[in-house]
Amino acid sequence: MVWLSRRWQLLLMLAPALLVFSVYLVYPVVYSVFYSFSDYNGVSKPKYVGATNYRAMTHDDVFWSSLRNTMVVLGVALVLLIPLAFLLAVLLSGPIKGAGALRALIFAPAIVAPILVGLIWVFILDPHIGLVNGFLSSLGFAGPQWIGGTSLTPLSVGLVYVWQTLGFVLTIFYAGLKMLPRDVMEASALDGASRWQQLRYVTVPMLQETFGICTVLVITGAFKVFELVYVLTGGGPVHLSDVLVSYMYYVTFRLQNYGYGMALAVVICLLGVVVSLAYLSFLRRRRRA
Amino acid sequence: MATGLGRRVGAHNLRRLSSLRVVGAAAAAVLVASTLVACGSDTGTAGNGGGSGTITLSMQNANVEKSDPATFQIVQAFKKKYPDIKVNLVGQPVEQHEQQMTIAAQSHTLPDVFWVYNSLAQTMVKNGNLLDLTSILSGGQLTAKFPPSMLAGYRSGSTQYGVPYQALVTGLYYNKKILAKYNLALPTTFDELVQVAKALHSHGVTTISQGANQSSFSVWAFLTMLDRFGWEQKQAGLLDGSVSYNNDDFKRLYGHIEELAKAGAFPSNMTTQNYQQAVDAFTSGKAAMLDSGVWAAGTIQDSSVGTDVGFWPGPTFSDGVGEQKLVMNAPSAPLVVSADVKKNKKKLDAVTKFLQFYYSDAGQQILVDNAQTPVTTYKPTGAAAQKPVFASVLAALSAPGWTSPQAQPDLVVSAEASNAMYESIYGVMQGVLSPAKALKMVAPTIKPA
Repeated sequence: MVWLSRRWQLLLMLAPALLVFSVYLVYPVVYSVFYSFSDYNGVSKPKYVGATNYRAMTHDDVFWSSLRNTMVVLGVALVLLIPLAFLLAVLLSGPIKGAGALRALIFAPAIVAPILVGLIWVFILDPHIGLVNGFLSSLGFAGPQWIGGTSLTPLSVGLVYVWQTLGFVLTIFYAGLKMLPRDVMEASALDGASRWQQLRYVTVPMLQETFGICTVLVITGAFKVFELVYVLTGGGPVHLSDVLVSYMYYVTFRLQNYGYGMALAVVICLLGVVVSLAYLSFLRRRRRA
Repeated sequence: MATGLGRRVGAHNLRRLSSLRVVGAAAAAVLVASTLVACGSDTGTAGNGGGSGTITLSMQNANVEKSDPATFQIVQAFKKKYPDIKVNLVGQPVEQHEQQMTIAAQSHTLPDVFWVYNSLAQTMVKNGNLLDLTSILSGGQLTAKFPPSMLAGYRSGSTQYGVPYQALVTGLYYNKKILAKYNLALPTTFDELVQVAKALHSHGVTTISQGANQSSFSVWAFLTMLDRFGWEQKQAGLLDGSVSYNNDDFKRLYGHIEELAKAGAFPSNMTTQNYQQAVDAFTSGKAAMLDSGVWAAGTIQDSSVGTDVGFWPGPTFSDGVGEQKLVMNAPSAPLVVSADVKKNKKKLDAVTKFLQFYYSDAGQQILVDNAQTPVTTYKPTGAAAQKPVFASVLAALSAPGWTSPQAQPDLVVSAEASNAMYESIYGVMQGVLSPAKALKMVAPTIKPA
């Protein structure tokens, strides 16, 4: 047997992956940061403007409303998605008839293209032709503007995001549950722990890492929501339902303001990293305590 | 992936996991930033690398044959006339197309001939990306074939960088049957339009079908109204900064739009529906009017309401400014040619022949056959011009006493300003902006050059 453990051999084997990583991740990020300090319209030569784009952001009302909407989507996702996915995973990991089919059914939205998810939900939530308001109207109630109004769209986007991502997060929890050592569960049962006590004092603590991974995925996912808003409302009316990425897209490609668009991209990236790291640091402190 | 994660959880390798998670989180987050650049990784255009007898024509429709049959048929007829010249016709949706042309300009891979919004064309011409078409047009005696207004908007100094792709004839299509059903006459003034809107709203019928989702530009009839409130007289001042968009005349117009919205003229779901859905609502008889242009004449003609539709340039205003009998018949976005074409004599010759064919009488007749008005002075003939919907558009254009503005207002300002104009109009229609706020939103976006 030949061991390829010398440093140059390791570097050689890592090189293709590093190259791909650099081309598709490092270069775009460096490119974005570079142009975020410029007045660039995508065609002419970029002009260095220092931190002007970042300063402009602090006075940009649409940026702040997009940030607020993104936080609403994130809040809805964190409050609903993690507990719901975990509880469903617990339920479906038990001896239930048709659990496999149910898991597949719940996972299905995760493999549907987000643009199609948006289209499906337009026909459900549209205030005029949507199924929900059609049903409410048949009961004699006037349904609200779930999408396209001035207030409910971010909540609706959050709910659709939960629907779309539930199966994926559930699968991670399900895999974690299946990997729990059986002997610990059996020992707790022999000690007389009820199902609730097993869940509260054995399962949840042992799945702490899985909770961490899922939460980070949900946080970064919420900061990347774009297609849902794009299809549901296009960010309207007058940007009231824009989230950060849809606003960045608008600024960059519709307004041809690449410099400001790149600054927005950098801020979105930093927000995702900061919130994720803050959460991980919180987890680490709690674990130490 | 899930199984792998589960195994790791089972192993309780906490320290390793923490660092993995940090890297994972950071990698996932940086993907957001990389989205922009990834978008530009493939222009989808053929560039200039083809044989010198090959030209690439890039258009703003994903399916040119279906969505823009006039251009498709012109290309087919051209290929028949010049079998030695190959035309590579490509297309993508308008937003994607604009992105790709922007990125292609950066990488000097622009297609030979392409459609582009005038605001982007102006940036490209300043950057030296576009060919001066003066000699091509004068060589084929084409310059004289265009009404002067059709070329003026695409000139920068002495450089003629573009030619109008099609004529931009816009207004309101109306369904005669719906109006007759509720004993309503076609309005001529704005006050009459408000009365019609109130009457139709009381019967649960949408007056003007509009769709803002991903198509906020679909406010053509209202852009013509800006001309009825003195846009053309104010244009020079607006562009040099001596006149503000936030002026009393435009304030009155936006007040009227608000009045129309309060009369229930617009669909309640105009934020979520797109332009195509607005067209569908009209062609399925669910709306009395449609804000659109001549490009929709063929679709409307072939729909179930085709025999009951007429074309109306829009209302006149008793408190308007200047000429009220205005019908929008201005140059649409231009066709432009990459500056790199001149580097290859054979290609330049092929492009010259293509443009000369496009604007010849034979080319313009193909436009007419596909329910498009000619952009040259060519007088249309044939059966297509007799089809009721298209004929009503032609009748509006030649109605005695009616004239056309030089350009549609949104096409003479920057992309930022035109988008602000669209959003301000839709904002008032949707009731989320007051006229004063809407005007304040647009004013700072029109900056002196």
